[in-house]
Amino acid sequence: MGQKLLISGSPGCGKTTWILNTIKRNQGACGYLRLSEQANNGQEKSPESLIDCTFLKDQVPHLQDLSSCPDTSISKHKDFLSLIELSQSQSPDQLEAVGINPYVKSQLESLKLQPDRHLHFGRDSELPNNDTLVFKELESWSLNLAKSVWDPQSLNTFWFELVNGAYGDVYRAKGLMNLPDGQSIFFNWIVSQKGSQFLPLKTVSPPNGRPERPSGLVIQGKGLDCINIQSTINLCLLNDALLEMHQIPLRDRQSEALYAS
Amino acid sequence: MKHAVISCLHANLAAVKAVLNDIDQKGISDITCLGDLVGYGPQPNEVVDLVRERDIASCQGCWDEDIIEGLNACECSYPSQLAEKRGHLAHEWTAEQLTDINKDFLASLPTSIRRDRILFVHGSPNSQHEYLLPDMNAFAALERVEKAGADTLFCGHTHQPYVRELKNGSIRVRLQNTSNHNAEEKEINLPMRKIVNAGSVGEPRHGSTNATYVIHDDVTGEVEIKEVAYDIGLTCQAIIDAGLPRIFAWRLSHGFEFAEQAEDASHVCER
Repeated sequence: MGQKLLISGSPGCGKTTWILNTIKRNQGACGYLRLSEQANNGQEKSPESLIDCTFLKDQVPHLQDLSSCPDTSISKHKDFLSLIELSQSQSPDQLEAVGINPYVKSQLESLKLQPDRHLHFGRDSELPNNDTLVFKELESWSLNLAKSVWDPQSLNTFWFELVNGAYGDVYRAKGLMNLPDGQSIFFNWIVSQKGSQFLPLKTVSPPNGRPERPSGLVIQGKGLDCINIQSTINLCLLNDALLEMHQIPLRDRQSEALYAS
Repeated sequence: MKHAVISCLHANLAAVKAVLNDIDQKGISDITCLGDLVGYGPQPNEVVDLVRERDIASCQGCWDEDIIEGLNACECSYPSQLAEKRGHLAHEWTAEQLTDINKDFLASLPTSIRRDRILFVHGSPNSQHEYLLPDMNAFAALERVEKAGADTLFCGHTHQPYVRELKNGSIRVRLQNTSNHNAEEKEINLPMRKIVNAGSVGEPRHGSTNATYVIHDDVTGEVEIKEVAYDIGLTCQAIIDAGLPRIFAWRLSHGFEFAEQAEDASHVCER
């Protein structure tokens, strides 16, 4: 049997980045699972989970999704590394007293994934000691943006307004947004760090209608103006006619390049 | 004699009052307005009433034109879908609020005002929608001033105040004579031309929330860019009370335009 690590920490502490680097360094195959502390209203995966899984899978295409097949023969291989990510808002001191919450335990049991070790950001020296905030009573708002495509300039404006406090005190925002040219951009921002991270996924969809891959937005903060966040997003998303207008010249250019070659 | 130039009032009554008060305190009675009396802001009638009462000579801005013509500003003026939708919303609200008398007043405004070799326009001599940005290609900038027959061109529209001196300009003309195939060349040196952008009273975008305007001395040619603080809270509350998008209040209170400006400095509306 391979090793199973449970990696927990507060939002924005660098769990996903650490996991990505660990996967890249690992010689053998790896699996990934993202757990939440609360039930997700019957949805299969939360937008945050979809964003992280899609991002990691894009960066490491051979990564195995443990939520769909945790117990395959490959995962039983001794070199197999299972990485389980858990967003947990408790500080390290509280964590000792509280332990892993029962909902998380039940998820792990149902997937037959018993971690060999639990590493927590801010407690364990194996993990980087990033300067992150301890969030308490955090509001969280998320939106599944599957098949939605943004007007690129509008997305710039919306993100600028969002992280600068136009819709409440945002402490953390993470998104995976589709653009009309087939790109998907990973957006990542936390109040304690300077600037936003914008990372285009390696996988690009053809500019032919709406992409099939997951897309979503997760915002954590206080006094969030969710109604106006949603209404601004609605003003930024392209309808079918406008999407087609954006994509026609891109398809023409692709055809010309193909013809020329 | 000193005169004041104001621009882009954008229905922001508190800012307009503060700027007029500042001008009055300096004893300047000659004021020219470069348009955009309305648009985005919450007090279009109050601002137009005040400009009419004070009998301030005004050009027509792009917003004034669009409200009158019943047109939404041309799509190419908006840098994004979001800016366009917000702009259309503000347009519909403003058109609904404005009285017929004030609409007639905006319709009566000229697109430019000339005083000898000084020209006042909203955007550029070509169009109310064209941006003359401070870093615009020098040749294009000189062409705008020269073609308009002006020494000094006052404009607004960009909401960023600046003074640009265009020195050492020259035009080279080559004339081909068909009868003897000889070409004649002539170089004409141009005196210094000046573009003065008055910034914006009601929707500043120069890194501060203060309203801006300029004072020009037509004897010495000296230009001063003035900044005036005003009670932004009053305008923000009026935006919310009017039912305009709350984001307008947030953007104004942070010194951002209600919608972003177009980035193409040489853009000319083809409508």
